[in-house]
Amino acid sequence: MTKKNKMALDRRTVLATGAAALATPMLGRRANAQVSELTVADPGGPFTQGYRKAFYDPFAEETGIEIVSVARDAEPTAQFKSIVETGTYIWDVCTLTLSARLILENEDLLDPLNLDPALTGDMMPEAVHPNFLGIDVYSTVFGYNTEAVQKPPSNWAEYWDVENFPGRRALRKNPIDTLEQALMADGVAPEDLYPLDVDRAFAKLDEIKDDIAVWWTGGAQTSQLLQSGEVDMTSGWNARLQAAIDSGAPAKIVWNQGLYSIEGWGLPKGGPKGDAAREFVAFCSRPEQQALFTDDLSYGPTNLKAYDYIDAERAKVLTTAPENLAGMRIADEAWWEENRAEMTERFNIWLLT
Amino acid sequence: MSAARAGWTGRLKLGPIWLAAPALAFIAVFLVLPMLRLIGLSMQDADTAAFTLSHYQKLADTPVYMRILGITFRISALTALFSVLLGYPLASWLAAMPDDKRNKWLFLVLLPFWTSYLVKTFAWMIMLGDKGLINSILTGTGMAEDSVSLMYNELGVIIGMVHAMMPLAILTMVPVMANVDKRLSLAAGSMGARRSQRFWLIEFPLTMPGVAAGGLLTFITSLGFFIVPAYLGGRGETMLAQIIIVQVQQLVNWAFAAVLSVMLVVAALLSIWLYDRFFGLSTLTSASSAGGKTHGQWLRALGQKTLAGLAWLTSPFDRLGGREDGRQPIKFAYVLVIFFFLLAPAMIVVPLAFTSDRALTFPPPGFSMRWFQTYFDSAIWISATIRSFGVAFATAFAATVLGGFAALALARSDSRYSRVIFGLMLAPMIVPRIVIAVGLFYLMAQIGLVASNIGLIIGHTLLAIPFTFIAIGAVLKGYDWQLDDAASTLGAGRITVLRLITLPLLRGGIIAAALFAFVTSFDELTIALFISGGLKSTLPKQMWDDMYLQLNPTLAAVSVVILVIVTLMLVAAQRVQKS
Repeated sequence: MTKKNKMALDRRTVLATGAAALATPMLGRRANAQVSELTVADPGGPFTQGYRKAFYDPFAEETGIEIVSVARDAEPTAQFKSIVETGTYIWDVCTLTLSARLILENEDLLDPLNLDPALTGDMMPEAVHPNFLGIDVYSTVFGYNTEAVQKPPSNWAEYWDVENFPGRRALRKNPIDTLEQALMADGVAPEDLYPLDVDRAFAKLDEIKDDIAVWWTGGAQTSQLLQSGEVDMTSGWNARLQAAIDSGAPAKIVWNQGLYSIEGWGLPKGGPKGDAAREFVAFCSRPEQQALFTDDLSYGPTNLKAYDYIDAERAKVLTTAPENLAGMRIADEAWWEENRAEMTERFNIWLLT
Repeated sequence: MSAARAGWTGRLKLGPIWLAAPALAFIAVFLVLPMLRLIGLSMQDADTAAFTLSHYQKLADTPVYMRILGITFRISALTALFSVLLGYPLASWLAAMPDDKRNKWLFLVLLPFWTSYLVKTFAWMIMLGDKGLINSILTGTGMAEDSVSLMYNELGVIIGMVHAMMPLAILTMVPVMANVDKRLSLAAGSMGARRSQRFWLIEFPLTMPGVAAGGLLTFITSLGFFIVPAYLGGRGETMLAQIIIVQVQQLVNWAFAAVLSVMLVVAALLSIWLYDRFFGLSTLTSASSAGGKTHGQWLRALGQKTLAGLAWLTSPFDRLGGREDGRQPIKFAYVLVIFFFLLAPAMIVVPLAFTSDRALTFPPPGFSMRWFQTYFDSAIWISATIRSFGVAFATAFAATVLGGFAALALARSDSRYSRVIFGLMLAPMIVPRIVIAVGLFYLMAQIGLVASNIGLIIGHTLLAIPFTFIAIGAVLKGYDWQLDDAASTLGAGRITVLRLITLPLLRGGIIAAALFAFVTSFDELTIALFISGGLKSTLPKQMWDDMYLQLNPTLAAVSVVILVIVTLMLVAAQRVQKS
């Protein structure tokens, strides 16, 4: 079985290098000239599909460097750490969330990207870091069942108002986003959220504690919750809610007061193919490439110029489309990095009492 | 380990205890070593690496962790109780059958095992939901006015966990029950014992080793659960493994994760010790306790009284139990109900594989083969399938050999290190998988085994060894060693005895052990997440990746493919065995 795989890989590499040699003799040859392949870890599933179309295949075509994609764990920080500390570079590039970026930066596990500032001029400023390039934007919002809910809530205050906006509700079994939602429900404006008034948030959570039918833990669960009619409204990541809608669930997303965050590329420190990896990351900043992944993923591109290439109808379900972005704000990863352990503990205590 | 080493130098004679050496060496390298490292981490300052107990201080300062430990114990204990209790009649029904017929039924017991944990859990969600199958039936037929809360509470967790664990309990109990000499019960009957007395005073005590093994096995395995409580539980059902995963994966606080792991391990060891004290676990694999004699006697007397009481209590129902012609309609009906429970998720998953819908709605709105198409067209799925089978076969072989010889060693030896060895053999089951996975990843990275099939096999073998050890140990318990002695006196060498006498007689247990190991590997996700490095995906890993964003019916189709292949494999195995 091992032999077979190797042969398949070899054949692919040979074909790719051959094709590349014919098609693009010049481009991309300067960085790690001997590199013929990069291993890129992405979240798998539709991400792989979308990224392959937008980045992997076009990059291989342009540079001759084939991209082997592997699916990473949802929170790869522990793996990332082991990779660097043990020097086993099984990944050359990996998708990271902003919070993972911060953790890894603090532990000095990321390589600098040395991006040309000209490339990132049209990008959201929050997406560009010396060691991280944001690619897609996801948002924590809420969705409701359009058949079951006659009068849908339009913000978190109304989501909390179980009297006037009846329906079975779900929230995430995690303090992240949930505390912010509680504060917004209590009237805090999105721009004034941080630093979080934690006592106030928990007090507000007390009000709704007994009215939450489901505390969800995984993203796929929220699609299922809406799809099956288990709950009438739930918080969730926009793409998961969109997945339910795409497969026919009578549901709608409320973008107002959403909290967005960014996923993008990071390089394990000291990787042997660093230069080629940096070239790949730079390639991913291009708006016309970013536009391509939105066919498969309902996440917004970080290069806002990408909307020049995106169909207006499709733009409606993307996080960074101007009208969706307007009512949202970015989650403060620095605050969470500082307080996450403590909040997780307190939230667990709160849940159990 | 130091105790074991002292044993090796102190006893140079090649006693039977040496048969445990390969398994112990394996566990020492791939479990003890990484664990020691984690324990080191738990007492180290994260920045200065200086010795500190501050991480443990946190445990004492925050009662929530003790509380979560309590919840973990409660859920695990209830799971073990119901798995053994509800599984017992089914196991005894199976044990009464002739071998070949029993194997066919055992396949049905195993069937839920062949369905991935993730898929099983989602099948339960479809059944138990507020608008789920059961509630639709209840409200539709007017049996209930409003939906009944069947999940997102403790009930849901227990249902999901008992479903996952009952096959394990049954498979552990059956071999022991099958070895019980039925003539004893007949003899008691001929001397006037009533049905209830025969059961409680003769049959039940004789099956106790199986019950104890089943209970302990399910209890300990349950301690490390995280998928079921996460998806079927509510606000109050948080288990320790979930918290450990959060510490490792989200907070990257390995020190505190190590502290929590140590706490879980200590608590598990403590409960094994207690179990041993009260139920005499020592009888299980002959790890005999020398000092417990007097203790055991009054306990045994108490137990005997309790059983006699139970016999008296249940005697009015003697007539219900079965007719004297051997037919037992009530028992049979019960067996059917339990089979229905065990097979229900599979009965949901199979139709879903043929759905025309993009979502997992039940019943499916239409028929389609598109999800099978997706599966067979995908090189990724196919290569993951092949890899999973290869790894599982290798694991079944390695774990059965290692665990089997260790069980044999303990059964044949009265070494004073038996207890230590026993504990070490069970260790891979007590340490949460996430902890094993993290520890192993470190080790594997250093010796270049990350993203290799060998790495996966080693990790899975480690997890499977306790199962094979206990499964084979349980049948060894009822094994008549005089048969071996008889063969020896007739001139057979040790190897010949093993090959011609011991192994054939233990065949049932060995096959059960290999199946356990196969299944353990086949459905293993946590180790694969780390060791596969994303490059060497196994089926569960691929399913996990695929359901990252959305649950689609490809997963159901994959489950069906697995079921078909495994069925064919088992049928073939039985044919081979017979010929």
